[in-house]
Amino acid sequence: MAKILLINPTVREEDVPRHVPYGIALLAAIAMEKGHQVQVYDENAWRQGDEVTKAVCVADDWDIIGYGGITTTYGSVKRIAKIAKRYAPQAVQVMGGGLLTSMPREMMSWLPEVDVGCVGEGFITFPEICEMVDRGGREFWDIKGTVSRKPGGGLIMSQIRPLLHDLDSLPFPAWELFPLEEVYFKNSQVLFSEEGMLASRRLDINASYGCSLICRFCYHLGIAGDMRYVEDENGEMNVAFDQPGTYTRSIRYHSPEYVGALVKHAHDKFNVNFIGFLDENLMTMDKFSGRTWMNDICKQWHDLGFAPKANDDGTWTGIHWAGTSHATLCTKEVLTTMREAGCSHLVYGYESFAPHVLKTIGKGATRESNLRSFFWTLEAGIRPVPNQIIGFPNEDFESIRMNMHAWDDLGIQVKPHFATPYPGSEWFTTYRERINGQYDGDLERFILDLGDASSISAVISHNFNAVELLGLREAMLQLNYRRIDEYEQIWRRNHQIPDGAPSTLLSENMTGAFLRDADKVKNAIKDSERQDAVVETANAGSTH
Amino acid sequence: MSNEVLRGNFETRDKVEIKQSEETLEDRFEMEAKKRLGGSIAFVSKKKVMWDTDKK
Ligand code: B12
Ligand code: SF4
Repeated sequence: MAKILLINPTVREEDVPRHVPYGIALLAAIAMEKGHQVQVYDENAWRQGDEVTKAVCVADDWDIIGYGGITTTYGSVKRIAKIAKRYAPQAVQVMGGGLLTSMPREMMSWLPEVDVGCVGEGFITFPEICEMVDRGGREFWDIKGTVSRKPGGGLIMSQIRPLLHDLDSLPFPAWELFPLEEVYFKNSQVLFSEEGMLASRRLDINASYGCSLICRFCYHLGIAGDMRYVEDENGEMNVAFDQPGTYTRSIRYHSPEYVGALVKHAHDKFNVNFIGFLDENLMTMDKFSGRTWMNDICKQWHDLGFAPKANDDGTWTGIHWAGTSHATLCTKEVLTTMREAGCSHLVYGYESFAPHVLKTIGKGATRESNLRSFFWTLEAGIRPVPNQIIGFPNEDFESIRMNMHAWDDLGIQVKPHFATPYPGSEWFTTYRERINGQYDGDLERFILDLGDASSISAVISHNFNAVELLGLREAMLQLNYRRIDEYEQIWRRNHQIPDGAPSTLLSENMTGAFLRDADKVKNAIKDSERQDAVVETANAGSTH
Repeated sequence: MSNEVLRGNFETRDKVEIKQSEETLEDRFEMEAKKRLGGSIAFVSKKKVMWDTDKK
């Protein structure tokens, strides 16, 4: 059987490692289930530098070295690929994850060390690659979901890999191959709620894949039915994601029973006291299931005895948990049920409190639904984590003030992210030329520049440049209306926009294009109300 | 606790061990200070909330 080394690249170096890479942990479990010899080196957790990466590459005769992750792992992946080529030249290098999937052709050309890329979901593609390597084959183009090198030069994208329907057939992630005691449990704390703050043994689970909404800055890693294959301008097959007017989704979730069994496994084997749901949007699944899914997961929590119980000394027993909600898709009832089962906090991508901005972003939320869900969540006893973004294409002085007023009124303490066109998002496609322009035509530099969206990279605002956005955010944080007013006067003079006229340079055409798709978002919300919904709904042209 | 960084379902030819350095006061300070500076900071100060759901 193949000897496989999986490396988890370094990400978000400015913070301690907090999340076992769920995808790699699943792939390791699948490969072991198939009988392969597997080792994991969690570079992100150990943070030991290139010498140790080199040492793991020479520690055995690897047949395969696999790595991958989210877009912001690119710098680390580039280093790993070079080290692996130099010190384990015999190994087939396999790269996967959202990073490769969003731009497979670019990645394969920037990283000549990579032999085969896994485009999109890896659950079947990766073991098929391992099996082929094991029997000495190298015709990766015969395996769906790959991008590989033609013998005479050039790249071949094989057929698209269909998504796995029976998610419950997956094994549990191989958490035991990661340094839980040494690294992850020490960093269990999540400072979003009292219970999160006290978490001392946290693991994360991913109970569903996808989201029915079409936020134009969001990317679903090509594992949510969001990816299509189309011929590009050079007549070559390439990936395509959300584009104005074209949205596809395939929402999938594990059964509540699988989720319950997984949490029990985490509890019995690793003694966890907190679970983080990695799901993109728990509410989209709940609504899609006809409002049964979340209820049934909560029921599992009670049935398995994990619903927290308070002790006399103010502490509690049981397993608290947290996840991601959605302003329009949550209900008072489900929030109360979730609290009773131990939910401590929920992340809401409120993004903005300005109606004219919310209308253009594809979230299907309004200022009213943002406010409503905020209070429902607090009333249920759950802390809402109200994420905010500034620098949207039509961000203007009005939206900036509306956000500041909302933060002030609601007691929100927030350092907003900047709207960032990560590859795979609709706004990456829409603004690709503009992004290139900001990096002298060198797209790789943009990718290397990407990190947390609280730092600024490529700007997609039509009204403000990077320096303006940084300054405006600072004034917003201080609720300094006077400075904002003063700067608006300067800005209006510079752009010759008279007082009283909207403070925007965005063309009506462009605003119109964003608004035209608003009905698609409404449909997405409406469709997910169907009681008889089937889970697999990939369907070009409409969202689910 | 183990110093072996490779974890898997078989014994590798070579072991790769690292020295896990004890956290110094300086490390701790720098890490705590960084936590205050970076990342997305978002929480609700419940004491400041003054909206009334019924009005909405
Ligand atoms: C955990 C997580 C993180 C962790 C990263 C932990 C880690 N080491 O992976 C942290 C907290 C650091 C993080 C940060 C950010 N994240 Co994040 N994060 C996630 C989250 C919640 C879960 C990822 C996950 O495990 N998914 C489930 C597994 C099964 O999927 P997977 O890892 O992609 O693996 C599958 C395939 O991709 C493939 N695969 C993956 N790796 C490999 C390797 C090989 C060899 C092969 C063959 C295949 C393969 O096979 C797997 C099975 O199909 C996702 C949302 C989600 N539910 O996916 C967002 C998500 C990945 N994050 C996202 C974003 C935007 C961010 C931030 C930019 C947000 C911000 N605040 O600024 C930051 C970046 C910060 C930085 N400085 O780098 C986006 C996408 C980003 C992108 N373009 O890649 C996502 C999709 C959320 C969203 N919808 O917006 N994130
Ligand atoms: S609701 Fe969240 S997960 Fe869904 S598209 Fe919008 S940002 Fe992405």
